[in-house]
Amino acid sequence: MKLKGREIFKGRAIGRLLVLDEAFSFLGGVDPKTGLLTVASGREGENVENRILVFPYGKGSTVGSYTIMDLKKNGHLPAAIVNVQAETIVATGAVMAGVPMIDSIDISLLRDGDRAVVIGDGLDMMDLVEKRVVTCVLRRKGKMLILKRSQKVGTNKGKWAAVSGFIERGERPEETALKEIVEETGMTTARLEGRAETLRIRDGIYVWSIYPFLFEVGDEEARLDWEHTECAWVDPAELEGYDTVPGFRKVLDVLGL
Amino acid sequence: MQLTPEEQAMLAGKEGRAKRKAMELLVALGAIYGADRLIPITSAHLSGVSYKTIGEGGIDFLEEMAADGRVTVPTTLNPMGMDGERWKEMGVDEHFAQRQMHIISLYEKMGVEVNCTCTPYLLTNRPKVGDHIAWAESSALSFANSVLGARTNREGGPGALAAAITGRTPNYGLHLDQNRKATHVVEVDKDITKDEWSLVGHAVGRKLGACIPFFRGLGSDVNGLKSLGAAMAAAGSVAMFMVEKVTPDQPESLEGLPVVKITRQDIEDTVRRLRTGTKPDLIAIGCPHLSEREMKELAGFLDGKKKKGDVEVWFCTSKGIWLRCPKERAVLERFGKVLCDTCMVVAPIEVGHKVTASDSAKACSYLPGLCSQKVFCGSRRELMELIL
Repeated sequence: MKLKGREIFKGRAIGRLLVLDEAFSFLGGVDPKTGLLTVASGREGENVENRILVFPYGKGSTVGSYTIMDLKKNGHLPAAIVNVQAETIVATGAVMAGVPMIDSIDISLLRDGDRAVVIGDGLDMMDLVEKRVVTCVLRRKGKMLILKRSQKVGTNKGKWAAVSGFIERGERPEETALKEIVEETGMTTARLEGRAETLRIRDGIYVWSIYPFLFEVGDEEARLDWEHTECAWVDPAELEGYDTVPGFRKVLDVLGL
Repeated sequence: MQLTPEEQAMLAGKEGRAKRKAMELLVALGAIYGADRLIPITSAHLSGVSYKTIGEGGIDFLEEMAADGRVTVPTTLNPMGMDGERWKEMGVDEHFAQRQMHIISLYEKMGVEVNCTCTPYLLTNRPKVGDHIAWAESSALSFANSVLGARTNREGGPGALAAAITGRTPNYGLHLDQNRKATHVVEVDKDITKDEWSLVGHAVGRKLGACIPFFRGLGSDVNGLKSLGAAMAAAGSVAMFMVEKVTPDQPESLEGLPVVKITRQDIEDTVRRLRTGTKPDLIAIGCPHLSEREMKELAGFLDGKKKKGDVEVWFCTSKGIWLRCPKERAVLERFGKVLCDTCMVVAPIEVGHKVTASDSAKACSYLPGLCSQKVFCGSRRELMELIL
């Protein structure tokens, strides 16, 4: 799957990711003589050479730009740099040393050792498969409908979720949403109330791209199909007592519930 | 970012490799900060001069740029790691000196004025109100924004060099009116003197971080303002401040801005924070570099007195001021060395010294990390009394 970011310094690179969870300073964070990360980086002993180095953003002294040049001199440059938010010190060093660099990437989707290609403004994650789904929260008088997934479904058996389903090729997410509401609940009065930006969640080799929707529904009964065994109308605060699918809370958050 | 056809040609390498690399850097920085275009600059000031900080990697970069790169606007240089003539007396070794002079020759080849100082605005590089410039060196750029009314962001050394070579800088941040607005009002207690403005700067920088403070009723002493700005930049990345009736950019209104008071207590807390050593083996004055008036004041105070003990003393200044002050130098040389083109922060003082005394809150902030020093922070008078 391809993740689109922003090009900071052009170039192509292929390599395995080295993912640091915290802000990183090249000065003091890596030994330019060996390319090995120091204890200050939180990942002592890993070598940056030929890795696609991933971290949220740079920090520390401006001398860090020159540390990247030192890595170049000693032949230990990373293959590329990927940030959430680029800043001056690392970007300057990347341009000086000619290291491809992109930012605006959601690095929570990336794992150490993933194979990837940096090209232009994007990161091509060679081994990851994207699964696009809609999640539709149905609301009535302040309560929302949750459904218990049956044993016949492919994923998250027995867990509680909102109406959801895969977005088929060529389908627009809102079409999928309306179709799934009818299939899974039989309701026909759903009115689109809100939607939120796509959420992405890493799960093994899969990345779930979740398109969240909020619908208001009228006073009609839910008629379940084979995908669910139970349903309940709950207040968002009552969710604690239910075993919900991964990322469900996040979906409610982005929908403002 | 929108580039003109001329700028696109530079980016495509049609005007040589150095201009291409310089444009690549400006385009990257422009993207990060959302600049709409590049704007012409009238001058540049570069950091990244000391061999101690830029090392062999930095030399590689400068060699690449100097191969066919020339600056296109007046460009000055920050202090280097030693006095060009008295490096042996400073305890600098032969290898360091050689590599340092190589760095200077690369800058010279690019057309940079190679008097090395953090106070170019006291000499040849003095921008006018409203000039767009690209300056590195946090204390100098703060002075340029705040006292001279020129416009610059906090450039890194390579970014400033790229601007000097192309004559342009990305249009964002402090180049734009809407970002040159006061964020806080600062009131400094009346009993705090201008000799303590460096400590005031440190206290404000630590309290407020990156902000644009407006100082109410502070005064216009140039030497005090140079110390104040330097300390604020070191402690809080402050790139611009305003002083009532002094700064060309004055706020339209102070309504709603938080008011911060700096008291005697803040000054005492700052000294306590910065003071990590007791018996200095080096006393270093001149961060930022001493001005002509400071040289005169120091010489006036020390003239006729005798030095006690053998602690090393440095008075750091620029070549330009050094040349203007032969009489003062003669007095000061009886107490220590009057050094040019360098300072206690960028010289390799850790080779020969363990505890350094300074009256500069900026130097006191950097000496522990950059020079492995314990620090004795005191007023200029206090430091002089240590040797009398």
